[in-house]
Amino acid sequence: MKYITKSERETLNVAEKFVQRLKGGEVLCLIGDLGSGKTAFTKGLAKGLGVKNIITSPTFVLLKSYTAKLKNINKLVHIDAYRLDSGAELDYIGVEEYFSDKNCITVIEWADRVKDIWPVNAIEIKFKVLKGNKREIHIK
Amino acid sequence: MIILAIETSCDETSASVLKSTGGRLELLSNVVSSQIDIHKQYGGVVPEVAARHHVQNINPVIMEALETAKIKPQKLSYLAVVSGPGLITSLIVGVEAAKALSVAWQKPLINVNHMYSHIAGNFLSKVEFPAVCLVVSGGHTELVLLKNYSQFKKIGQTVDDAAGEAFDKVAKLLGLGYPGGPAVALKATEFLISNFQFSKISLPRPLINSGDFNFSFSGLKTAVLYTAQKMKKKELEQRTSEICYEFQQAVVDVLVGKTMKAAQKHKVKTVLMAGGVAANKKLRESLRESVEAKGLKFGVPEFRLCTDNAAMVAIAGYYLAKKKRPSRDDWKKVKVNPNWELK
Repeated sequence: MKYITKSERETLNVAEKFVQRLKGGEVLCLIGDLGSGKTAFTKGLAKGLGVKNIITSPTFVLLKSYTAKLKNINKLVHIDAYRLDSGAELDYIGVEEYFSDKNCITVIEWADRVKDIWPVNAIEIKFKVLKGNKREIHIK
Repeated sequence: MIILAIETSCDETSASVLKSTGGRLELLSNVVSSQIDIHKQYGGVVPEVAARHHVQNINPVIMEALETAKIKPQKLSYLAVVSGPGLITSLIVGVEAAKALSVAWQKPLINVNHMYSHIAGNFLSKVEFPAVCLVVSGGHTELVLLKNYSQFKKIGQTVDDAAGEAFDKVAKLLGLGYPGGPAVALKATEFLISNFQFSKISLPRPLINSGDFNFSFSGLKTAVLYTAQKMKKKELEQRTSEICYEFQQAVVDVLVGKTMKAAQKHKVKTVLMAGGVAANKKLRESLRESVEAKGLKFGVPEFRLCTDNAAMVAIAGYYLAKKKRPSRDDWKKVKVNPNWELK
């Protein structure tokens, strides 16, 4: 499914609506350049999932975990692979536990850098910067 | 009171001994084993690598801190340790070591928040309250209002990237290496030296007039990217220092602007600064000038107390122990909390 958004707010809204399709246990793999809307999308997901905290960049710590409140979903895990060249490092800190957790939604930004650890059920979401500050969001 | 403090929240293994005599604080030792050269090749801290080095370093660092201070474990009043926020795999090494020592030596353990410890780096000398503290590092950008040494409230924070992270990312996209702060600052100085004119590049000052005390640096970093992409290779090479100058200026404008607004609104007597980015000379000097122009007191820890270290944890521990007397069973309650936010 493809969406064209004209502002950060619209990107956030797409994500917030997308949450309705999640059942828990999904791993969302976000791919796109700097400034293409990945973080805005994650903020929208958090909002839709009822996360109370402000979603800040996990680049420095690689992974941040938040309490979610939507049906059976009680956790949002936000991973940033920006600094990584492979998934080994994420493997070491135990991300597989989150991948197999049916009450958890995992989001990986810069997921193309860690393709080696994508689970079979990974949902790929691509972000593109178009002319005039527009963004294309492609959910596969 | 004599306190042994331990800090392993990120990539520095550190231990420190602090002695207080009638309210006068004296640092007897502050040992820091840095892993910065190890993580340079990765462009940032790698948690699993950091954890392994903490395990190797923790005992020698603690022993060296005690030996340098010439203090035997029996002489200690308390132990203090940082249990969050930070990298979970790093924090756990310091916390488990501290808990084990607390039981073995029968010394009460004080649980310290990493962000509060950064602020406490300012408390070696007397502070006039109320005060506001700007805490800026690779992982955090926060404004904290202080009623006294141990009562505080977070009044603003970044809603996306930390200031230090923005420096790192800009350095990376301009090919300047890691850590980004010093690299970008150096380039900015080059521009200043070679040009007696203002930068012709204009970057945004995100949220500067937002009315609250929050920060945003994600869009600024993207603006740098677009600016660089518009230039041809040769032009980019020539104007990298100019981009760095304008970028640093934008970050400084926002940080100083918001801190001063917070100082004014809350009628503080003192403005403090803490965290690794407080080492940035431009930021230090700009904030100092603005603060002193308003007739307020300005404070920033000496450089070695700005980056992660256990001395600031010992100072924080001292004020926490004064507020609430620690007990020998406290170690049971100390748990690693990588998301521990200041309230």
